[in-house]
Amino acid sequence: MKFINLLQKELKELINAQMILSLALIMLILMFVGNITKGAINDTIEESNNPKINISDRDDTDFTKSLIEVLKSTGAKVTEFDTEGDDYADILKTNDIKNLVILPEGFTETIENNERPEVLTVSRMTSASAMSNMSAGNSGAVALIQSSIANTIASNMGITPEELELIENPVVLQDNTVVDDKSTATSIDNILNKVMMQNMILPIIVFLLIMMTSQSLISSISNEKIDKTLETLLSSPVSRTSIITAKMLAAAVVALINAAVYMVGFSKFIQGASTEAVSEIASDVMGNYVSVDDAIKQLGLSLSVGDYVLVGLQLFLTIMICLAVSIMLGALVNDTKSSQTVIMPIMVLAMVPYIISMISDINTLPMAVRIIVYAIPFTHTFSGISNLMFGNDIIFICGLVYQVIVFFICMFFALRLFNSDKILTISLNFGQKSKYNRKKSVSKD
Amino acid sequence: MQKVLEVKGLTKQYTKVLAADNVSFDIGEGEIFALIGPNGAGKTTTIRMISTLLKATSGDAVIDGHSINKEPEKVRECITYLPDEAGAYKNMTGANYLKFMAGLFYTDPNKIIECVNRAKEICGLGERLNDKIGSYSRGMIRKLLLSRAVMTKPKLAILDEPTSGLDVINAIEIRKMIKKLAEEEGMSFLLSSHNMLEIEFVSDRVGIIAKGHLMVTGTGEELKKRYNAPNLEEVFERVVIENEIH
Repeated sequence: MKFINLLQKELKELINAQMILSLALIMLILMFVGNITKGAINDTIEESNNPKINISDRDDTDFTKSLIEVLKSTGAKVTEFDTEGDDYADILKTNDIKNLVILPEGFTETIENNERPEVLTVSRMTSASAMSNMSAGNSGAVALIQSSIANTIASNMGITPEELELIENPVVLQDNTVVDDKSTATSIDNILNKVMMQNMILPIIVFLLIMMTSQSLISSISNEKIDKTLETLLSSPVSRTSIITAKMLAAAVVALINAAVYMVGFSKFIQGASTEAVSEIASDVMGNYVSVDDAIKQLGLSLSVGDYVLVGLQLFLTIMICLAVSIMLGALVNDTKSSQTVIMPIMVLAMVPYIISMISDINTLPMAVRIIVYAIPFTHTFSGISNLMFGNDIIFICGLVYQVIVFFICMFFALRLFNSDKILTISLNFGQKSKYNRKKSVSKD
Repeated sequence: MQKVLEVKGLTKQYTKVLAADNVSFDIGEGEIFALIGPNGAGKTTTIRMISTLLKATSGDAVIDGHSINKEPEKVRECITYLPDEAGAYKNMTGANYLKFMAGLFYTDPNKIIECVNRAKEICGLGERLNDKIGSYSRGMIRKLLLSRAVMTKPKLAILDEPTSGLDVINAIEIRKMIKKLAEEEGMSFLLSSHNMLEIEFVSDRVGIIAKGHLMVTGTGEELKKRYNAPNLEEVFERVVIENEIH
């Protein structure tokens, strides 16, 4: 009953209107950004299917005219512009376009002389964003022009279209991907694209949860210490284990609520960035015979419900370790300023596996580095999905056991700290004397 | 008078500093005992040991028959502690704070309601108890905390600098509340303060502490007479000088 009273108080402190509002806002932002990304990708796909080609025919011959007709016959939306000079910025600005293909004077004559003609392309760069600068217009036009000229040259040389096809694509590519002893007839790039999207969510969520839960518990303990409500609690007839457990449990509940919201939010976001259309195009381009989802199943890379439960368990353990460490860090704080800086050790320990898991496979690192990285208990959660996907079950289970051991060690020290004088006397002052030590010094004087 | 608190040679040694040195005194039922001394004299350390927040290096204190060393849990059931310049949970309303604190002492809902009603009556904050504590003035918070400290009718209420940082009017009200509770309800108080004139008004007996040593105890009148001083401030000065000479 007393424990429930403490737990209710902690939950009320953590779950407030501010927290609910910020979670709702995060969810909305993620869904909004996901929809924007989805829109941008769909626009790009649409443009690659039906490219908008802006072309300026400065040669103005029958051949160039027929070339433009060929472009139009492919379904591309071709717009012709009369341009002159080489002030390309002015040309794009005057015509209010983002890209332009220019067939220069003497283009046809050069082909007739069996030489390689020049084709000029101009593209406007409006930002550093890849998506906003992505345009199929120029590249599509150039590919079609290349193909038309190749056909013309081949025809002049008496080469049939079939022979030309053989020259251009002398081999038929069939991609296969192997994971352990399983294989599938799909390109590795295509599978990686899908798997990476799935693996991106967990590290982001783990990192955010570690930071948020640590900060909330450190703030909770440091605020109680600064306001001296902790002294009131510790002198009341409730066990110190109840106080610490209520704080941790409330923080864990809030972390799980956050995890659920982030999981849904990021899923919506990722869904936007990996539409079916992208997979279909990728399959067409790579000439796959098996759909990406089927290929992932064939390779044993899809996770079962049991796997997700194990990943969830590992995530929970990470949060609990984080909370146990936060209790000790919170005890060091004696003022609001240091409550913000004391989280640094947790941030560094979370940042290292987070960055490594985003750019590399921890299991491929040199042994010494791997041991150091795996010694950080959070690493096992960052690499959890990858380890389960690729059959590194022993590493996963060892990680789980290691996390349990680390959790009990951290809890042991956290409880010991809470049950000793140190919870009130210990402090982190960065060279400054704490209020408590100042008092002691006065006493000495 | 039955003894509620018996302090026997309490000592607290930090790594380099002896914060409390062999402190001994006792408090009877319904008595207000004040530890007085300057900042850093060892008052808070002594009070924290009696409140079971700090472990004594040596010595003991027995509260209502329970030793702080052997039965700290039992001790916590019969004391309440109000730290110096303590705050409360700013996002809670005053009423919810009282309910939460009462819930740490009792599990019976009727007992909890009884405690809260008593605290409401003592603090005199009326409708403001339905507002969040974050909107309270310092005086209001102190009244709320004091009512919290006495609502469970503890055998001993330990109040560290109960009026520090308060204006004259609020300080007088707090002192009157303490005196009334001791006189009418027989509650015992252990106070600490560096404001010796205030303590002269509120306490039955005082203990003068400096540099960790409890130098002398007695009623205000006894001490003034013994040291031929007009007030406790001068008593303190003379006690300190006398102890330095010897």
